[in-house]
Amino acid sequence: MRLVRSLALATAAVTLAAGCSATGEAAGPTEPVSLLVFGDPNELAAYRELEAAYERALPGADLKLIEASDRKDLIAKLSTSISGGNPPDLFLMNYRFYGQFAKRDAIEPVQELLDKSTAIHAKDFYPQAMSAFQIGGKQLCMPQNVSSLVVYYNKTLFAKHGIAEPKAGWGWPDMVATAAGLTRDTNGDVVKGADPDAAPGTPVPAGPPPATYGLGLSPEVIRLAPFVWSNGGTMFDDEKQPTRFALDAPAIEALSEFIDLRGKHGVVPTDQEVESEDDEARFAAGKLGMLMSSRRSTTTFRKITGFEWDIAPLPVHKTAATVLHSDAYCVTKGSKNKPGAWRFVEFALGTEGATIMAKTGRTVPSTMEVSKSPAFLDPAKPPHNAAVFLDSIATIRATPTISTWPEIEDVANGILENALYYGHKPDEVARQLDEQTRSLFERGK
Amino acid sequence: MHTRPLGRAAGAFAVITVFGALLVLLVSGSLHVPGLPPPVTPDLVPDPLSTEGYGHSVELGGLARATLNSMLVCLIAVPVSVLVAATAGFALTQVSPRTARVVITLSLVALMVPAISLLVPKFALFRALDLTGTLAPLIAPALIATSPLYPLVYYLAFRNVPAELYDACRLEDMSPLRTWWQVGMPLVRPVTAGIAALTFVLTWSNFLDPLVFLYERDTFTLPLALRSLATLDPTDFPIFLAGAVIATVPVLVVIAVAQRGPRLKKGHRG
Repeated sequence: MRLVRSLALATAAVTLAAGCSATGEAAGPTEPVSLLVFGDPNELAAYRELEAAYERALPGADLKLIEASDRKDLIAKLSTSISGGNPPDLFLMNYRFYGQFAKRDAIEPVQELLDKSTAIHAKDFYPQAMSAFQIGGKQLCMPQNVSSLVVYYNKTLFAKHGIAEPKAGWGWPDMVATAAGLTRDTNGDVVKGADPDAAPGTPVPAGPPPATYGLGLSPEVIRLAPFVWSNGGTMFDDEKQPTRFALDAPAIEALSEFIDLRGKHGVVPTDQEVESEDDEARFAAGKLGMLMSSRRSTTTFRKITGFEWDIAPLPVHKTAATVLHSDAYCVTKGSKNKPGAWRFVEFALGTEGATIMAKTGRTVPSTMEVSKSPAFLDPAKPPHNAAVFLDSIATIRATPTISTWPEIEDVANGILENALYYGHKPDEVARQLDEQTRSLFERGK
Repeated sequence: MHTRPLGRAAGAFAVITVFGALLVLLVSGSLHVPGLPPPVTPDLVPDPLSTEGYGHSVELGGLARATLNSMLVCLIAVPVSVLVAATAGFALTQVSPRTARVVITLSLVALMVPAISLLVPKFALFRALDLTGTLAPLIAPALIATSPLYPLVYYLAFRNVPAELYDACRLEDMSPLRTWWQVGMPLVRPVTAGIAALTFVLTWSNFLDPLVFLYERDTFTLPLALRSLATLDPTDFPIFLAGAVIATVPVLVVIAVAQRGPRLKKGHRG
């Protein structure tokens, strides 16, 4: 293994050196620029449209789109090409995942380019998205979108059962009560999806499962975090540079409420039910009253024909809070055409480029002006309350940027999953979170 | 000897029940109407039946181009790989046992190296040769028989041929290459069919190499195109399954041909 590794390093070094000698500052916008993105076929089609618009707007420009299917593929492709000394000029990456590349010094900061740019300005963008891509006060990457966690709800189902629709400022207990009112059997009668007297760890209540559940909420750190923040709690010992999970009393309280959704209230589907039909599919089939998700679900739900749906802000414990979802264009350090790469970023985040991406419906534009335009707030398409995404931005918070964050999330999500579905004690969950991720935080320093 | 055909039949039946059921589900799933919520339990006969998914999958996933690319890779890689494996395996029977042992040990060591650990060196190599972004890195492994296992299988097959036969050929002044082609290869035909099928499946379903080496959509092979369809919304599952059917059919054809070929030959002789 060591031989293999040193061989890899040696070849990488040789190719890097070869690559460096070819690097010239003379490269300009007319040299090809490669952009690595991921997305489903429809999303990739939007990128191809963006590519075409860019090449039309800047005659002679040549954008080479490198398509990956999902984030894992993109990271595999990016890591290999960086190690192999031939990275793409640009890549699109979520803030929760870019830390590992920032730490490897694979990203060229765009601060100076942004300062000098006449096409785009820092003040045109939502600061919540900008700050997620800053390290040491320097802008590393340029955010393309700024989504948050919201509640999708089945309007038709609410009307059928005469339940009030959620509105801004609703509390967690309101949400639980609403969800309980929507958890019904095949006759349309309210049922309890859980047996509170059952021994802890009993996964499925006896009797037939409810035909509709009130709420879909996946047990993940990024889903739990906004409620911890809303309750005035903290998840880490240091919010900016965490060294471990350290849930304080309000955080444990929020976690406890989170876990109760299954064991005590029974308003979310069981583990087995989620395995057989995921929340998005269940919502689309009209069997879920509400679903907490980001903007991503919008395109799926726009295909729904059986019922009407809309969105509402997250319920609140004490103060309103939600969690940031954002991807950014990053220029690679090994890029052979940084000026060209930046020219593309300017175009993609300018009015024309951002409008093309906004029209896909999949993302909330990071450019303030475009986010308030009909390209995003299209009144002809659901959700009717699309402005909720924009109103939520003021209360957005981000998870910390550390290089091992993806691994930390993996471990923590596993713990939260067991906690929700098998009713683990909140204190025990907090202890497990800390214990099992300590080494990952250590490595991420 | 009487239990053998019976055991074979039972084995074939077990395999068909397990894998055949999956295949049936795959085909029935692909015949749903895209855009509807997926059924919780698979329904064998979708209502209404629709082949819409096939059209969408070809268009959305660029499957036509991807199939062409995959076929091109296999058309070159599989014959080359089989020839290399066969010659290498035959050569091993002709060298001294000691040399053979060394080569076999090295092959086994090579088999144990995880493919993922070679990814970066491979990338650096193909980049130095300026071949990244082309189909060449997907074909190149054929030059070393795709996997060290295949020459070893051939070695075992050729070793089973009585050594006197090779000696006789030598006395006849036949060149080693002619001995291999005219005497050795016809005797190990079933092995060739098996190895060709295995190489085909391995090359056809290779995902990691195309993922790393291919950039442009026009060069994508089927596994990459399928992967892209897999990211569609859950309501579009028939499109993905239709793509999977399209990608599976050639494999079934190759396996069927490989199965049939040697058996016909045997029948002739019997």
